[in-house]
Amino acid sequence: MGEGRVHFQQEIQQLEEQALGGLDMVVGLLDEALEALDQADAELAAIVVADDDRIDGRYLEVHQGVLSLLARQAPVAGDLRLVAALLHLVKHLERIGDQCTNIAKMVPLLGHEPPTDEKIVERIRAMGAQARSQVRQARQSFALRDPELALDLSRQDDTIDCMNREIFRRAIEIGGADADLREWAMSMVLVSRALERIGDNAVDIGEQTVFVVTGLFRELGEERTV
Amino acid sequence: MPATEVVFELDGLGVSYGGKQAVQDVTAQIFRNEITAFIGPSGCGKSTILRCLNRMNDLVPSARVEGSIRYHGQDLYAAKVDAVEVRKRIGMVFQKPNPFPKSIFDNVAFGPKVLGMQGDMHEIVERALRRAALWDEVKDRLKTNAFGMSGGQQQRLCIARCLAVDPDVILMDEPCSALDPVSTGKIETLMIELKERYSIVIVTHNMQQAARISDRTAFFIVDLSSGEGQRIGRLVEYDATEKIFTNPADSRTEDYVTGQVG
Repeated sequence: MGEGRVHFQQEIQQLEEQALGGLDMVVGLLDEALEALDQADAELAAIVVADDDRIDGRYLEVHQGVLSLLARQAPVAGDLRLVAALLHLVKHLERIGDQCTNIAKMVPLLGHEPPTDEKIVERIRAMGAQARSQVRQARQSFALRDPELALDLSRQDDTIDCMNREIFRRAIEIGGADADLREWAMSMVLVSRALERIGDNAVDIGEQTVFVVTGLFRELGEERTV
Repeated sequence: MPATEVVFELDGLGVSYGGKQAVQDVTAQIFRNEITAFIGPSGCGKSTILRCLNRMNDLVPSARVEGSIRYHGQDLYAAKVDAVEVRKRIGMVFQKPNPFPKSIFDNVAFGPKVLGMQGDMHEIVERALRRAALWDEVKDRLKTNAFGMSGGQQQRLCIARCLAVDPDVILMDEPCSALDPVSTGKIETLMIELKERYSIVIVTHNMQQAARISDRTAFFIVDLSSGEGQRIGRLVEYDATEKIFTNPADSRTEDYVTGQVG
């Protein structure tokens, strides 16, 4: 109907902006979670846990917006694919928020100046940067409707998976007799797992980009989880 | 949803024709700068209620209105109220476009002239045609007969005619049922633009149209429970359109909007 659907097009665009804005929020939350971990800042970690409610709130807003749009505007074709993809996108960003919370919750459990392992610390930092970059790229791929950027995410995700396995092996290696070090290493395995899942969520958002553009659903990459 | 100023307050509103009850006990508030849609199966009384809002039922000798309608707090049916003034403030657009057999200009200028409105008639006509999103299509042929226009243009002309007398409310009785989807889309876009300035109440058989454009939706049914073949229209549920179409409170609304009955 072209001209007759101007307001509908505005509505759908606003909904996408809301969802993409949620991804920006979640990148900010990830930054805070990584900083809290790096600085052993329990206060900042508590803020991350509290701020996740805002992400959940955004999820509910977009979810309701999608239902309303489906019920009221009966979108079809490309519009329908976009609305369906937005529903997935917000679910993934809500899960990324949950993973940030999982990381933040580890911070107060690590105790005061625990024994650490430089290699694991370095790997966790690298994973954090990688996860952040993947979420940013997922956002960009969706906003630009760029399937190439989305496909590239699955290649990048191999890096994060690889680092996750390295941390797991390293945690076993350094076990030894030091119970405190073992406990710390186990915590880092959980953090590593959370970051690896964030990478997966970014790839999943990329899959939604491909779906919006092509109408086909493709599982990007084969072994994304350990 | 946040409520704006109340335009109409319907309280226990009912209408009977020749002693036969058509619709009963309608209580609702209609808000300013919103599009309010009345939906429901044939005979549910939605058009009858719409016609009460600008006293069109006065023109039906056997019609009797019970209950009350307050318009901006004033009793619409009080003895001192002038029905002609009411219809100027509360305009109506009908199912089938009904332009006068006159030029486009004269169609729009008719109301202002009859009412003796002051001001430059060309300005009044242009403003009304612009607000009805018709100006660009007709500005070069204002003197031609309105019957030469397409159906969709004729309906927008009827809207312009209604706007020319500077109303407060526009009532629309299935304004798109005689139009194709392109013209329907134009009218729907126009309605969304017009609600910034006016309050709109629309009766529609097209549920999707109510869903697409209205802010609030009232769902009416035909009640057969009084027996003896009596069919009485009743208001079942009135709420934000989003609520009616995603999570209605009454199972009868759910059945209707999902297409299981009616």
